[in-house]
Amino acid sequence: MSRSRYQAALMVAALVGVTSLRAQNAAAAPDLSDPEVAHVAVTANGIDIDMAKFAQTRTHNAAVKQFAQTMITDHSAVNAQAAALAQKLGVTPADNAVSQSLQSGAKQARASLERLRGAAFDRAYLDREVAYHQAVLDAIDKVLVPTTENAELRKLLTDVRPAIATHLEHAKQLRGQLGSPSRTSK
Amino acid sequence: MIVWLLVLLGLGRAPTTHTVEIRGMEFHPAVLTVAAGDTVVWVNRDIVPHTATATGGTKWDTGQLTQGQAGRYIAHARGTARYACTLHPTMHGKLIITNN
Repeated sequence: MSRSRYQAALMVAALVGVTSLRAQNAAAAPDLSDPEVAHVAVTANGIDIDMAKFAQTRTHNAAVKQFAQTMITDHSAVNAQAAALAQKLGVTPADNAVSQSLQSGAKQARASLERLRGAAFDRAYLDREVAYHQAVLDAIDKVLVPTTENAELRKLLTDVRPAIATHLEHAKQLRGQLGSPSRTSK
Repeated sequence: MIVWLLVLLGLGRAPTTHTVEIRGMEFHPAVLTVAAGDTVVWVNRDIVPHTATATGGTKWDTGQLTQGQAGRYIAHARGTARYACTLHPTMHGKLIITNN
């Protein structure tokens, strides 16, 4: 298992862990409060923006650069919407274990990508983007939407979902075009 | 008699405006039939920005549309005009432009 995939697996495990915990405590209050859900959403967007900015400084592939720009543009738009909604609702995003797990995973993924150059970097970055967007989709479906109590915050998450799914398809498509290491490495 | 003359002169149908909504990362409708001279307006309902950009021979582009913004194109050349969102290459649409 590659390091980026390992990080993604860790992240999914953390998110699924929250779901399991919630199932075990079905009668108790939701595991994530709305301020915590808002924090997770903002954190997840911020992580992908930072990764895309780093990718833009590292890649020489025009399509990968364009993909990274789309990640910056889209996730910034989502975060602006989330911030506006939080302000409207009077919600202050609250740090929590899921956000911390995301940040920890991102830090390690970044360290792994730092060592790579050229086509190897492009492949690893896109592998990570595929795994990350899949994990975020899982988190939206299994943790964030079911846990969120406020209807407007839940609608924001639901509205964002198609964009995340499109990013996932875009990343898969681009990754497919880059081919396997044995065919593209110099 | 006057109506028939207008039809024969190609003036029988006033250009109309069609709307394509962009929502859920899709163009709605994805395939639209219009007459030459008609205007197509794309309205972005998504949180993220989009474009409607020609991918065929005739070049046109709405530019980036943020949420709530609209862009337009007057369909000139008859035939099929395919387009996509440059930000999200998995999003495609098609105009079928017929005689007026």
